[in-house]
Amino acid sequence: MVNLTIDDKQVTAPKDSTIYDAAKLNGIKIPILCHDKKLKPFGACRMCLVEIEQMKGRQIPACTTPATEGMIIRTNTPDIIKARKLVLELLLLNHPLDCPVCDKGGDCDLQNLTYDYELNSNRFIDSKFQHEIDYNNPLIERDMNRCVLCGKCVRICDEIVSYGALTFIDRGIETKIGCDFEKPLDCEFCGSCVSVCPVGALLARPFKHKARFWALTKHNSVCGYCGTGCNLTLGVKDDKVLTTVYDENQGFHKGQLCVRGRFGYQFINSEKRLTTPLIRKNGRLTEATWDEALEIVAGRLKGGTAVAALATPRLTNEELSLFKKMMLENVGSKNYDHSAGYAHRALTEGFASSFGSSASSASIPDIQKSDLLLVIKTDSYETHPVIGFEINMGVKNKGIKLNILSDKRGKLSKLPGANTLVHIPGTEVAVINALCKSVIDQKLADPSVASLPGHAELIKALSDFTPETIAAVSGLTVEKINKLAADYAAAEKAMILFPTGLGYAGHAADLARAVANLAILTGKLGKEGCGVLCLSEKNNSQGAVDMGFYPQDGGDNALQILDACSAGTIKTLLIAGENPVTSYPDNAKVKAALDAVEFLIVSDLFMTETAELADVVLPACSFAEKEGTYTSTDRRVQHVKPAINKIGQSRSDFEIISSLIVKLGGTPPTTPAAQFSEITANTPGYEGMTYATLGNEGAFAPVSIQPVFVVPVAAQVPAAQGKLALVTGSVLYHNGTLSQHGEGPVHVCPEAYVEISRSDAGRSSIIDNDLVTVTSENGSLQLKAKLSIRIPEGVVFIPYHFPAAPVNMVWSGSAVTMVSLSK
Amino acid sequence: MNPITPIIKGLGITFKHMFLKPVTLQYPTERPRVAARYRGLHGLKVSHDKAKCVACYLCPTVCPAKCITVEAAEDANHDKYATKYEIDMLRCIFCGYCVEACPVDALKMTGEFELANYSRKDFIYSKERLLEK
Ligand code: SF4
Ligand code: SF4
Ligand code: SF4
Ligand code: SF4
Ligand code: SF4
Ligand code: FES
Repeated sequence: MVNLTIDDKQVTAPKDSTIYDAAKLNGIKIPILCHDKKLKPFGACRMCLVEIEQMKGRQIPACTTPATEGMIIRTNTPDIIKARKLVLELLLLNHPLDCPVCDKGGDCDLQNLTYDYELNSNRFIDSKFQHEIDYNNPLIERDMNRCVLCGKCVRICDEIVSYGALTFIDRGIETKIGCDFEKPLDCEFCGSCVSVCPVGALLARPFKHKARFWALTKHNSVCGYCGTGCNLTLGVKDDKVLTTVYDENQGFHKGQLCVRGRFGYQFINSEKRLTTPLIRKNGRLTEATWDEALEIVAGRLKGGTAVAALATPRLTNEELSLFKKMMLENVGSKNYDHSAGYAHRALTEGFASSFGSSASSASIPDIQKSDLLLVIKTDSYETHPVIGFEINMGVKNKGIKLNILSDKRGKLSKLPGANTLVHIPGTEVAVINALCKSVIDQKLADPSVASLPGHAELIKALSDFTPETIAAVSGLTVEKINKLAADYAAAEKAMILFPTGLGYAGHAADLARAVANLAILTGKLGKEGCGVLCLSEKNNSQGAVDMGFYPQDGGDNALQILDACSAGTIKTLLIAGENPVTSYPDNAKVKAALDAVEFLIVSDLFMTETAELADVVLPACSFAEKEGTYTSTDRRVQHVKPAINKIGQSRSDFEIISSLIVKLGGTPPTTPAAQFSEITANTPGYEGMTYATLGNEGAFAPVSIQPVFVVPVAAQVPAAQGKLALVTGSVLYHNGTLSQHGEGPVHVCPEAYVEISRSDAGRSSIIDNDLVTVTSENGSLQLKAKLSIRIPEGVVFIPYHFPAAPVNMVWSGSAVTMVSLSK
Repeated sequence: MNPITPIIKGLGITFKHMFLKPVTLQYPTERPRVAARYRGLHGLKVSHDKAKCVACYLCPTVCPAKCITVEAAEDANHDKYATKYEIDMLRCIFCGYCVEACPVDALKMTGEFELANYSRKDFIYSKERLLEK
């Protein structure tokens, strides 16, 4: 701590604080324009000038000067005020002053400072800037005439997002912010730069001219896309969600969002939302009343074990647990599941067997506290971008060593010092086994783990996985495997991350067991900055697992349910929010099953490809219209409240299930809160939580682990001459199939494509945007080609989110599908 | 005082007024002279064949009666304009704050005071009706 005097007030501040931090901590306001607490000090604007007695009254910037013992500081002498006024006058000199048409008006730092400093006129005269405005992309408008050159956008894009799209161009009065070669902005559109820009130089186009900042009601919520569980603020006017509002104090991520969270909210008020129940009459879905629809559905649900249910892990904990209860108690069927039955297996089978708990042992805040990260698949950035930001900051600011084991390169591989091991697709479990073997052979294993159950079996099983053998299978080298094993074991704190989800069929129980073994062997568990984090795909995937919404005691899993539909043993299928036709593997089989099942009920926000096949369609509502809790990938339980009224006649799944329970003769809980108290009574880790204690930030449900060694099965990769290995996965701009209804994501990434390495493309003389046919044993699909240097030879990548070109036409559901390409 | 005197005085005043100019305006055949600063019906000013209003949302913000509805959009030149500009005259208190708030001098109050109408919805003045003719 240091002691100093600011404006005659004796204050103390931590040793590493700047004068600005010290003043802020003690409630003294120093105006800033270019400073942001998330970014490194920069000192570009000189608004924060203060006088320091020891420096003979010289004016220095508070945001870059460290506070030292005994400093006597004045923040508002007439001289300082004069200097600040001059700074503002010079900024306003070339500024267009088009506040009436600038969407930043009302929330603009320059406007506020001009008002605070009572600047009514300017002593100088000069012409206004005449920069061309960048309207070239649908998400971010760049008007450099309004720019005050604070550099926040440049810095956030570099320091946190690690994209580096923007920089200062030219010198002196000509200086401006631009992209390389003054091209239009074409980046990952996370909107971070927009959120920190103090003026209206960078603006969100989807919100352009929609409303004034002060007319928006701000509702705290939780992002409805991925498992990161970012907090966000919805800006609502006239019962419509018009934008997301940046709040630098929100959540562990301090208001950072990815493109989906920031620009993907349009699905909430989409024109295409379902507004009335629909019943199939004479082959056509026709509008009906809720009573009619629920009566029919309840009648069909009285079929006992011939009834099955699939739910999306986007439902709240309350909905999922009530749904499960209805299936067990009112319907009498154990057949219910989510996420194709495999996307959650890393947790429900993998971690459950290795750790005795179906949750990750590490949390997101652990990332920045670690010394070494082992990321399985570069896709972790695409699936969970804000976790990607944590990795970026850890690597760039804290010098965390980043190791990546992946079947292709990606953005994470570009981070400074990143060590990417590119292996042959489908060999990840074998490679991790080889890492375990190498740890043991190099005598780096924690000696205390020899007594853990399963140790002997593991040692025996690992004899088949010597680095030498696996190097040959995986396309890696023995040295690389040994070095990674040694680095991981030697790091004081090391953490493993891997994504799961519908696109990652290979990331199931065995991968989880393999990484668990590696962590247990080296003692990288149960400490800060250590552990294994399974990145669950959807916003409530972890919650669905915690609520036990997957088959136990002999129930059928999702794929078995579909088989049973085809076989005719399941006669009624109730699907809440899932879209198997697009997202489950093997499209032909899924469609056949849904055609075969006697009665199909779908509740969804949209007329999905699955809903089109249904006999009854129920309009459900989005996260912005209901109350409940979501559990993020690291078990943060967060509460959402309705921000707008329900669209049309839509009802929350909680209400739908409650009505069905009544019709089936049961008594449902009255409110989500009542259901939540039942959850907290029955779910380990959730004890004692209430909506009130969760507050805005949520609370961690602690995970207790009992490590044991379990031998993972390493799948054999089918070798096929002349064929390419198809891997599926997520792209940055999408999550599941819901993002198809968010304008932002769709503008940036409108359609599916096949990503091919340059050498493979060259061999078949394929160039960018060529239409190529991808053929597998399951079928074939035409897609646009995208050549890329990140894909190794022999591998092709197709994202899975797109109904218009569903990859599941060719993808069988195995980790790797062999395909051939033709033009 | 003689009780008759005030009556005589009063009648005197009445008699005098028979020769003065009448105060009563024979509305509607006679029209009042409306002062330039009179606050009557609003008018949206036009310049270069376009409404001057840039849909800055300041007048709906300042309006104490909350009777102005503005919706903005971007035109082909990326300029901001009001797709919807409505004033509910039944709620307006003719305070003139909206005119005062306008940063681009796009709004005025005219001498128009004959606002009676038959149905409520006719009191909602759309942009077309408000545009200066
Ligand atoms: S949107 Fe994100 S990636 Fe694009 S320039 Fe802004 S901060 Fe960088
Ligand atoms: S665009 Fe905005 S954030 Fe970037 S330098 Fe200019 S004013 Fe600062
Ligand atoms: S999609 Fe995931 S990473 Fe992106 S804002 Fe939402 S929760 Fe955060
Ligand atoms: S005159 Fe007053 S009450 Fe009427 S619209 Fe203007 S601000 Fe509102
Ligand atoms: S204040 Fe003026 S420019 Fe702004 S919306 Fe009202 S009339 Fe239009
Ligand atoms: S805020 Fe300190 S120099 Fe800009």
